[in-house]
Amino acid sequence: MESDPLERGAEISQPRVIEPGYTISTVTDKISSIVLGQRTRPGWFLGFGASFLLLLILLYAVTVLFAIGVGIWGVNIPVGWGFAIVNFIWWIGIGHAGTLISAILLLLHQKWRTSINRTAEAMTIFAVLCAGMFPVLHLGRPWLAYWLFPYPNTMWYWPQFRSPLVWDVFAVSTYLTVSLLFWFVGLIPDLATLRDRARTRAKQIVYGFLAMGWRGSAVHWKRYEMASLLLAGLATPLVISVHTVVSFDFAIAILPGWHTTIFPPYFVAGAIYSGFAMVLCLAIPLRKFYGLEDFITMRHLDNMGKIMLATGLIVAYGYMMEAFMAFYGADIYERYVTLNRMVGPYAAVYWSLIALNIVIPQALWSRRVRTSVGALFAVALIVNCGMWLERFVIVVISLHRDFMPSIWLMYAPTRWDWMTLLGSIGLFLTLLFLFIRYLPMISIFEMRSLVTETEGERT
Amino acid sequence: MMATDTFGARFDRTQRRAFILGIAALILAVLDGLRAPEQFFRSYLLAFVFWLGFPLGCAAFLMVHHLTGGFWGLPIRRPLEAGTRTLPLLTALALPLLLGLSRLYSWTHSDLVAADAALKFKQPYLNLPFFLIRNVIYFAVWWTLVRRLNRWSDEQDRTGDPLLAARLENMSGPGLLLYGFTVTFFSIDWIMSLEPHWFSTIFGMIFMVLQVLGALALAILVAGLLSQREPVASAVTPDRFNDLGNLVLTFVMLWAYLAFCQFLIIWAGDLIQEIPWYVTRAQGGWAIVALVMIFLSFATPFYLLLMRPIKRSVQTLATLCGALIVINFLNVYWMVVPAFEKSGPRFYLLDLLLPMGMGGIWVATFLRQLKSRPLLPLHDPRFEGALEHAD
Repeated sequence: MESDPLERGAEISQPRVIEPGYTISTVTDKISSIVLGQRTRPGWFLGFGASFLLLLILLYAVTVLFAIGVGIWGVNIPVGWGFAIVNFIWWIGIGHAGTLISAILLLLHQKWRTSINRTAEAMTIFAVLCAGMFPVLHLGRPWLAYWLFPYPNTMWYWPQFRSPLVWDVFAVSTYLTVSLLFWFVGLIPDLATLRDRARTRAKQIVYGFLAMGWRGSAVHWKRYEMASLLLAGLATPLVISVHTVVSFDFAIAILPGWHTTIFPPYFVAGAIYSGFAMVLCLAIPLRKFYGLEDFITMRHLDNMGKIMLATGLIVAYGYMMEAFMAFYGADIYERYVTLNRMVGPYAAVYWSLIALNIVIPQALWSRRVRTSVGALFAVALIVNCGMWLERFVIVVISLHRDFMPSIWLMYAPTRWDWMTLLGSIGLFLTLLFLFIRYLPMISIFEMRSLVTETEGERT
Repeated sequence: MMATDTFGARFDRTQRRAFILGIAALILAVLDGLRAPEQFFRSYLLAFVFWLGFPLGCAAFLMVHHLTGGFWGLPIRRPLEAGTRTLPLLTALALPLLLGLSRLYSWTHSDLVAADAALKFKQPYLNLPFFLIRNVIYFAVWWTLVRRLNRWSDEQDRTGDPLLAARLENMSGPGLLLYGFTVTFFSIDWIMSLEPHWFSTIFGMIFMVLQVLGALALAILVAGLLSQREPVASAVTPDRFNDLGNLVLTFVMLWAYLAFCQFLIIWAGDLIQEIPWYVTRAQGGWAIVALVMIFLSFATPFYLLLMRPIKRSVQTLATLCGALIVINFLNVYWMVVPAFEKSGPRFYLLDLLLPMGMGGIWVATFLRQLKSRPLLPLHDPRFEGALEHAD
């Protein structure tokens, strides 16, 4: 299947987006059997159990948090934004790849997206849920979270509309709504397939209810295509706006290390970077365990590797410009923050970030790395860690030494911080395991049309 | 070669006229410049930055296409390549600027630098020798990129060696990296340092997007003009122009996004090192220019390019792209000139003569390059089958 790089030039053929030999019905069988198969695989129980344990840790940590308060975390003045905000940005960034794959690549007519978009969209929703949780937990009095919304009240009291933190509320909630709609609309034809193939009454009723009366008529399909296109058009500006607004949370402030104009594009690139890393981290094990190598092919992995490389380089450009302008700008505070990152008490974090996020991913230039499943998985995992560290560097290192040396303080996360972070991964994975068990993780109907389309294709 | 024969006469005529117009405008500009050398170099810088955007933007976009492929690249490939081959002309045109550096950049004056702590701090970067060394590096990098892009493409035409497509693709990744790096620092050196206290980390990106947008608009305009006859006529299809229109729309939006982000962050921060750049550009006559730009650089093209009939019509899209090139000039004008004219735009004949003069010679060079090679790439395996079925 894989051609030699030299040979590749000779024929400019790429690996396929779906392996040959499939017909419309075998594709449907293969994907729907994962959901409708009578026996749940033991591996699934193992994975789900482990994730659920992590989720329980989250519940424990959050219960204690609600009982005692944010004092159990490591945050204090001047580092008022600790793990909670780091995790928030990390998770929401991860979500971005899903929308990018499903919306932007749909608009760009990229056919290879078909087999990964469903999982990526699910990942988006779960990641946004994990992300959304953190600012609310961080409020201190989470039961008053509705104060963030502008609602008419007797005191005629409104949120500060000039604050990007308020923009965040709108950006993230809109994003979640549209992503959810997009995902659900995309599922409808497949839910109908499951309804028709389900053998137990309960499944027929549940999938039938969710399929919303889909009959697959020509009118249905016509409206369906239009709705998908419109939702994709809506989701595209949203995916850019969300991380742009998140970057404004920092850049609108005048704190050195936060206030810099490159933040919006560099945050968006970073989000896509980490998002694709997460998609790879999920897709590589999934295709192995469920034998989906024919659907999620090396072509997909190679393309995602390339996108990671490109977005990673934009992120590197961001670091470079920040460091350069810190000196070119001749501002003493900017300069100090940069030096404090590089040689200050958190220097180890900074240099790990550079290594994990910039240096190691350069391996993706090599085609051999991009087409080796193990190496790609390793790089993706490394990038995920790197992007988390990036947010730590931005949030914590800029805060812990600001304009007034008398309040300089080191920040250290407590075990509750770690438990919440770990627990949020548990929440994410639990939702994901439920998803792959009960919903088709690859879009059946889009794969069917891919089978028909690729039949006559040269590649 | 049949195509150039049919077109030959018109090509030659336009080329000759552009050249004569250019030379005439330049002679007038020099005569006027003797009277006001200060203004001469300011206008010269404006014209130079604007026209240099075309070869560089063309090279960048060419590399984007080598990386991504797509049939939409077929009609614009040769205009882009011809655009890159005007780099030698712009290299030559850069030389007179060296005589005017001390008139343009306050950091070249040692007395001013000595009196200003910030400028003194920046001196290790902003000094004449290092400035010259950097520019030699930029131009060397650009020459290398342009040479390779054109040589391999030419070889592909002659030999049909399919390996060349892979070679072009392989050079484009690192090539874009080099482009980004050099153009960013070029923009800092030549434009940002006009107001040496100001800085913005996003500026290089805005500058690159402007260059690529200008180059893309130029290539579409030329493809549109050539599309009345073969061979380009059969390479231009409504679908491909729809794709190209979407690309223009993307870059229009990207420019607006980046420009707005820079503005919002600096406006909200309101810091003494950053805000003066916008204070100048949003007051008096410059405010009007800025408002016009919001409408002409973003709102109008954005609205028009959302409509499919506009993108699918070759003539309409080509006209729109022509307008975008003019607006691109306004954009560069708004970035560069307020550094000299704090109170508002003032009309100088030189601001007209020099861009026109340089433009005339540029157009003549561009046409000479364009007709020197077949108007469509002959043996690119990526375009295999692109001419067979007009979709």
